[in-house]
Amino acid sequence: MMRALKKSINHIVLMGYLLIILFPFLFVVFSSFKLNNSEIALSPFGLPEHFVWDNYVTAWVNAKINVYFLNSLYIAVLSSCITILIGAMMSFAVTRMRFGKISLLLFQLILLGMLIPNTSLMLPIYLLMQKMNVLNTHLALIIPYVANAIPFTVIIMAQFMKSIPSEIEEAAVVDGLSVGGIFAKMVLPLTIPAIVTVFIVNFLGNWNEFLLSNYFISNDELRTLPTGMVQFRDAYQSNYAQMSAGIVYSVVPVMVIYAVLQKKIIEGVTAGSVKG
Amino acid sequence: MTGGAPFHFLTRRFTIFLEDGADTVMNKAMRNPYIYALFVIPALVLFVMFFIYPLINAVYYSLTNWNGVSDHLKFWGIKNYTKALTDETFWNAVKNNGYFILFSCFIQVPIIVISSLMIANVKRFKSLYKTAVFMPTVMSTAVIGILWGFIYNYDVGLFNKILGFFGAEAIDWLGDPKFAMLSILITNGWQWTGFYIIMVLAAILSIPKDLDEAAEIDGATGYQRAMKITMPLIMPVVSVVIMLSIAGAMKAADIIIVMTKGGPAGSTDVMATYMIKYAITNFKYGYGNAISVIIFVFTMILTVLYQVLIARRSERIEY
Repeated sequence: MMRALKKSINHIVLMGYLLIILFPFLFVVFSSFKLNNSEIALSPFGLPEHFVWDNYVTAWVNAKINVYFLNSLYIAVLSSCITILIGAMMSFAVTRMRFGKISLLLFQLILLGMLIPNTSLMLPIYLLMQKMNVLNTHLALIIPYVANAIPFTVIIMAQFMKSIPSEIEEAAVVDGLSVGGIFAKMVLPLTIPAIVTVFIVNFLGNWNEFLLSNYFISNDELRTLPTGMVQFRDAYQSNYAQMSAGIVYSVVPVMVIYAVLQKKIIEGVTAGSVKG
Repeated sequence: MTGGAPFHFLTRRFTIFLEDGADTVMNKAMRNPYIYALFVIPALVLFVMFFIYPLINAVYYSLTNWNGVSDHLKFWGIKNYTKALTDETFWNAVKNNGYFILFSCFIQVPIIVISSLMIANVKRFKSLYKTAVFMPTVMSTAVIGILWGFIYNYDVGLFNKILGFFGAEAIDWLGDPKFAMLSILITNGWQWTGFYIIMVLAAILSIPKDLDEAAEIDGATGYQRAMKITMPLIMPVVSVVIMLSIAGAMKAADIIIVMTKGGPAGSTDVMATYMIKYAITNFKYGYGNAISVIIFVFTMILTVLYQVLIARRSERIEY
């Protein structure tokens, strides 16, 4: 008896933890199907009496989920891809080309970027965007997103490229490939595991980014999902059922991606932070 | 081996020749400074634009009275700094950053370590636990802020319903200065604890099994093994967790802007939201920049202090 209890105590505690994580989601999902605020208030834990799908229809229209979703998707994907291209080029140059001392110096300079807390640089970056005349366009997000992810991207990719044996390039040179060819046809395909990791981390970071998006974009049509959702909440604050439906819309895509790629995501996000 | 000996000389000559040949071609291609520049410059330009230049820019404007818009600009030395460091509301914001750090060190870290030990020790549902605890990490802080704002809601929120179930009086979680900061800390902890659990768990799982087994044969109890074997071995990772928590605490802003906007009455303002308030809302660009430099300096001081005072003392154990 004692033994069985001892064995299951871990599970009991962990199930409790699980409940704390999952319950807020369940609460929101249940609420999203409820008729109105009073039904939520009367039976907060219960299943809805009737499933009110209407909340989802009105939330989709009022919250402009499709607009924000597409904005977020294209900004996050585009920024991550550009970062990877630029970061891969730099990593290739500092690890594979023969400029030992300069490369070391440049790499350490980039490492320094990991130490600079980027929220505290928001004001000068705002000014910079103003000078470049891109405020209130998507470029005001894409350019900073690309730049902010460079230190992390270069560190992970350079580390990976260093481990590729140099015989590969020797063979490639003998075969007559140019430097660009070595980069694009030999080194880049071999770096794909690192590219996947970096893409996931950068994509998630951009997808979830709030501060810049909140202050650099004021045109509603251009908002990303996080800022759009906050806007939606502020506008329809008193209709909790509809708000819950909006939350469900913005959470589900991430949950689906997470369910499919969870192993790679967990690996990537933790690797990124430890190296940082 | 001996059979090949007569040819050994030859093959060696040949490979040396080949390497030499390849090397000169390699050198030519891989030492081309123009191509090197072409590959390095895009990343460097962006890096300088978004890291080095803003840093210099922030220091420069922090010494002025510039409002961010007009042509009027006057240098007034460290006046912004003395103003910030003597402003009570600023120190209130610093205190709230401090709460973030204290909450993660004394509440989150024990939960993180205990939960990771537990997950490492169970056999069934291990991957379920891992997946679930990590999930909040991938979600946007803004959406989590909205979701929890709903949970904290005075009329329909989950927390007040639970309190009501036990017959307790409802609390205005985000509206009462006594509870607002705590509410934000709980939400922040809810989002990030799982992330750190996964980090510590990875460290526990990488400890060789035979260490634990040997101790078990020697008669050590589960508790003793956790305290005497696992704990010392995962201290470096716990140290990283604390460092990351400190860095995160100094950067915290989005969760506060989404949940309370620093209110009620500035009771949940942190340094970053204080900075945004002054620079963007009140057009005090110079003053806002002084705050960003202070955030930067405080972060550096804390990092260095932690490294020197605590991290260095816990020696790394090799196995």
